[in-house]
Amino acid sequence: MSTPDKQPPRAQSAAPVSGHGVFFDGATTARQNVTVELAPDAVVVRAADGTVRAEWRYDELETMSGPADVLRLGRAGDSGLARLEIQDPQLAAAIDDRSLPVDRSGRSERRMRAKVIFWSLAATASLLLVAIVGVPHIASQLTPLIPYSVERRLGAAINAQARASLDTGHAGAAFECGDAPKEQSGRAAFDKLMGELITAAALPIPLVVVVVRKPDSNAITLPGGHIYVFQGLIDAAQTPDELAGVIAHELGHVAHRDGTRTVLQGAGLSLMFGMLLGDFFGGGAVVFAAKTILQTSYSRDVEASADGYGVALMGKLGGDQRALGTILSRIAGSTHPGPRILLDHPETAERVAAIEAMARSAPAPAPARTLLTRSEWAALKTICSGT
Amino acid sequence: MSNIDATAAAAQAGGVAPAVARFRGEPGAFWRLVARGAALLMFTLGIYRFWLTTDIRRFLWSNTELAGESFEYTGTARELLLGFLIAIAILVPLYAAFFLLTLAGGPTGELISAIAFLLLTLLGQYAVYRARRYRLTRTIYRGVRFHQTGSAWRYATCALFWWALILLTLGLAFPFAQSRLERFKMGHTFFGNLPGRFEGSGLRLLLRGLLLWFLAVVPFAGGLVATLAAVDWKTLAAAADGGDDASSWLDSSGLGGAVVYAVLTGVWLMLSFAILYPIFQAMLLRWWGSGLRFGEMTVTSHLRTGQVFGVYARFLWYAFLFTLVVGTIVGAGVLVLPRLIDGLDAMSKEIATTVAGIAAYVAAALGYSTIYQATVKLGLWRCMVETLDVSNPSALDKVTAAGEAASPVGEGLADALSIGGI
Repeated sequence: MSTPDKQPPRAQSAAPVSGHGVFFDGATTARQNVTVELAPDAVVVRAADGTVRAEWRYDELETMSGPADVLRLGRAGDSGLARLEIQDPQLAAAIDDRSLPVDRSGRSERRMRAKVIFWSLAATASLLLVAIVGVPHIASQLTPLIPYSVERRLGAAINAQARASLDTGHAGAAFECGDAPKEQSGRAAFDKLMGELITAAALPIPLVVVVVRKPDSNAITLPGGHIYVFQGLIDAAQTPDELAGVIAHELGHVAHRDGTRTVLQGAGLSLMFGMLLGDFFGGGAVVFAAKTILQTSYSRDVEASADGYGVALMGKLGGDQRALGTILSRIAGSTHPGPRILLDHPETAERVAAIEAMARSAPAPAPARTLLTRSEWAALKTICSGT
Repeated sequence: MSNIDATAAAAQAGGVAPAVARFRGEPGAFWRLVARGAALLMFTLGIYRFWLTTDIRRFLWSNTELAGESFEYTGTARELLLGFLIAIAILVPLYAAFFLLTLAGGPTGELISAIAFLLLTLLGQYAVYRARRYRLTRTIYRGVRFHQTGSAWRYATCALFWWALILLTLGLAFPFAQSRLERFKMGHTFFGNLPGRFEGSGLRLLLRGLLLWFLAVVPFAGGLVATLAAVDWKTLAAAADGGDDASSWLDSSGLGGAVVYAVLTGVWLMLSFAILYPIFQAMLLRWWGSGLRFGEMTVTSHLRTGQVFGVYARFLWYAFLFTLVVGTIVGAGVLVLPRLIDGLDAMSKEIATTVAGIAAYVAAALGYSTIYQATVKLGLWRCMVETLDVSNPSALDKVTAAGEAASPVGEGLADALSIGGI
């Protein structure tokens, strides 16, 4: 304050070459009112008694975060926390002019941000690409490598949960059909039909097929050979071949190990999206929605190839290969939220047409025959008739 | 007010700068910061959050002033990103191991799920403590940093114990838990060589909050009991088994009365949450602020409950306006979208609809989150800072630097485990 300001040697310069500042030396919290001199290549910080407290070269200066009206400087690469604070806007501007790293307008900070944003967008794009193309491909490659013993364990764990969520309200009767005395004959007919299908399919994994009291016209296949046939499907089937066609389609899922692949895809997607999206409001719901939509789009080809398997299996048995298409078009439109294994696809018409085409192009290798007698079929329809 | 004036007058008489805590941030600048951040979060799938968090902290820190000097946040987004990557390296194998172990199924699987839950909770508390260490060592005041010692595992174990006790006592242990945990944290906190401590008393907080606890918990528990007692469980079970017609068993089982009790309890809970929560938060913040000590420096908080209500009222008002806007846009979208995708096949239509739905959901969620940040987070920070009364600030004048910058791994874990923070 007492020392008179040095006049700049250049006549045109109105910018000050010295002024006042506040200095913290980084060793103690003592606040030092200092004179700041702008030497040709450095900022010189002098205490009131004239001793030099710091001499920072312009290219070492670093702007630190501070209030809008204060230029807070530190020394780059300095492990200490010495700070020089300048409130005088003209002095601050003069330092900004002389020092390349000092960036009061925030231009280089903005350039850095733009880079971050650009590469984040690029990362987002490649993530989505991997989620849409890569994950299903990787899951398909991995699925055959998983031993059946592991698949059966996975199936048991999923089965426990799936069963709990399926098992809702059936008015006192058991969840599974076919155990009550009145249901025994239906059970026998169902077992006969299943026996034929299983023998023809010769799958490498034992199956657990149960009929359950659910009104939806649907059937669900879980990993590890667990198949749930809903009562609604048996009610909707008009011939044994229609029911057998649907079950043959489900056996296709078992043969292709679609459940295991879905689990692998789901795990891959949740890791990718769950970890990255992180902690912003509602992130979890977005992950769930994204997974659902991606898995819906994967399942299209999966359904088509299960249809193909079903048609071929029915051919092997000598059943009606078109029956699957017939029942599909009859119950199309009955929708059911949850695992979309069988029915509720929007493109039922396309599927039915594809089934017709397959049935025409690959004629049945076995001679046509009836899978169940008229009385056996009538008995099967009563498998869920209750106590 | 008079208190602050008196302090300022006394300080001026002594020739020292007034020891007032001030907040100088422009709400408009903060709104711009969080709104732009929300837009970028959406388009970068959340990757931008490290930069947004850093910006928010820089804003809050550097606009908070104590005894004429503002704080400085020296953390960088790159450090947060690094912490996040470390957290992923730790958590991914852990998640994978838990997933494989739960496949065992049965009682073993359930046991392992329970252990996994406990371990992740413990890890979460560990992360909270480590993240606090990171934030403190990035907080600079007058060229000297804060730091924190103490074992994060010990803190996590204590926190787990206290949270279990809080659950068991229906919240009555909360004041003591707060007091103990805060003592642990502040007892290991230093500004340079100046040790911090916490002097809030758990008993005092309990006595102040007991009425609130009665108003919130007792009607809830009573309602729950009344609901359960109103149901004649035997009749209900018999009726459900027999499959009688619905109206008769609704009467005979007392389910009608139970529904009334349940609804009343629910309404009371909502009301009491809306009214009691701000009161509770103001009380807790006041108690917490008044317990902070650094050496000879003591702090008293004069936060008023009305201020906290004001903050939430602003949030509700902006959220209401935003809901109107979102409602209009969604309504228009529902009308327009079907025409746009008319020519596509069924599958593409479904995908387009879902994508539009997700986008709308994310935009709305980010909007509410932005409003929350700009009204509640900023508002509470500002009120808290401006009602602090600091005595003996001269204790801050002769502090010597100590402590080192700590690793951001705690921040990364907290982020990956979705545990909030500033």
